[in-house]
Amino acid sequence: MSDATPIESHASRHDRSVVVELRGIRKSYGTKEVLHGVDLTVHAGEHVVIFGPSGSGKSTLLRTINLLEEPSEGSVRVLGVEYGPGLGGKAKRGGPLQLRRHVGMVFQQFNLFPHLTALDNIARPLRSAKGLGREKAELAAASALQQVGLLNWAAHYPAELSGGQAQRVAIARALSLDPKVMLFDEPTSALDPELVGEVLGVMRLLAESGMTMVIVTHELNFAREIGDFNVFMDEGLIVESGPRGFLDTCTNPRTKQFLAAVL
Amino acid sequence: MLANYQWSLIWEHRVDFLNGLKVALEVSFVAMILSVVAGFLIKIARISKPPISWLGVAYINVFRGVPALVSVIWVYFGWSLLLGINFTVFQAAVIALVALYSAFIAEIYRSALEAIPRGQREAGLAVGMTRLNVFMRITLPQATKIAIPNIGSMYIGMVKDTSVFTIIGLLELTRVTQNINSVTFQPFVLYTAAAALYVIAAFAIDFVFRAIEKTLTTPPKGRIAHALHGRRRRRVEQVIRDFQTGAARA
Repeated sequence: MSDATPIESHASRHDRSVVVELRGIRKSYGTKEVLHGVDLTVHAGEHVVIFGPSGSGKSTLLRTINLLEEPSEGSVRVLGVEYGPGLGGKAKRGGPLQLRRHVGMVFQQFNLFPHLTALDNIARPLRSAKGLGREKAELAAASALQQVGLLNWAAHYPAELSGGQAQRVAIARALSLDPKVMLFDEPTSALDPELVGEVLGVMRLLAESGMTMVIVTHELNFAREIGDFNVFMDEGLIVESGPRGFLDTCTNPRTKQFLAAVL
Repeated sequence: MLANYQWSLIWEHRVDFLNGLKVALEVSFVAMILSVVAGFLIKIARISKPPISWLGVAYINVFRGVPALVSVIWVYFGWSLLLGINFTVFQAAVIALVALYSAFIAEIYRSALEAIPRGQREAGLAVGMTRLNVFMRITLPQATKIAIPNIGSMYIGMVKDTSVFTIIGLLELTRVTQNINSVTFQPFVLYTAAAALYVIAAFAIDFVFRAIEKTLTTPPKGRIAHALHGRRRRRVEQVIRDFQTGAARA
């Protein structure tokens, strides 16, 4: 995988518009604080990779972007829609629903709806969330399935799909809503090793198409290949971050120690 | 001794027995439909904000503890006085069952909804569905499938509980058996027949609910389920063909 051509993002970080901006995010469950004030900016077309040990808060941070986790402090801004308790005027606050319209998410456990066919897994949200009519939604869903190479599986239920196919349907479902940024929460961690490749393949195509992506992953070779901006988290904080090549140039001893342990 | 048992009585009174069973099944069926609706509303009350949730909890805890016999006497003789309505025995029996079983069904719904993985709700929210939409389209259909076998058990319980409505004179199976016995004095024979009919009814109900459960299983299991899902599958295949011809033309 390391000999694949790296997917370059051609502009430098700062000539691009900001898609996601997290400011001073703190998150507590009861008295336990799991994020201690994190800032993260994601630019259009950028592929941000977040990695770190389990319990470091990386998934929580990712889930804050589409407000599956409500920040206890700080604010989330996605394409001008801002949300969070850290904001002064109430007028500035947009609803989570409005913010989520721009954000697609892919989960570790796929989270396909088991009672719906692959086609309906995509068409149902299009009808409910975008208000599309049944026929339009179903044709859009077919198109999304084709993008991930699963058109022939449209009539199958999630239980009849392999893990890799299920995750590709989940990616198609997220993409069908035309998001401006895609979040991936350890998308290959629940897959058998031989199925990881097909999912990473779809993600690679997506990255090449210019999609803005934020990826929490343990696949560090993939991270090296795809990551325009790399973030290492530990104990609820960003320890170190850097551009392409970060895995080889990082300096923080904690980062190096983690990389040495997993690579 | 066996010669004294007149087993032929069962056949002679077959129409009465079957009518009694029919009444028992009818009362229970109406009560079950209403209990599912009422139980669902109580469940909604229970997960609402206080003080509505307290009402839900209080209802469940009180009515799960009331015996059917007490419930029907309370409704038929008590409520009718209080409200000035003369309930028919059928109405009183249905109300008595709904009052009790809606509490159980509320609990069945609660445990079924809790069995749905959190990721299902999150996935629904993440694709931009409203909370209500996620509930109606994602969690509730899955929870219903889980609840179906338990609702079937409740229905069997209801059919058996109709036997206590003898007290208000509902002509259900047990009452019918009593009436025949009072002129023939063959309790062993007659109650054996009654017991057998209750058991057969329970088997039949179990069979029906299993069939319903199977049709809700995805992918479908069994012949009935396949027949029902076949329509959906053909529709999806039609969509794919439409999509492909559309793509070919473009």
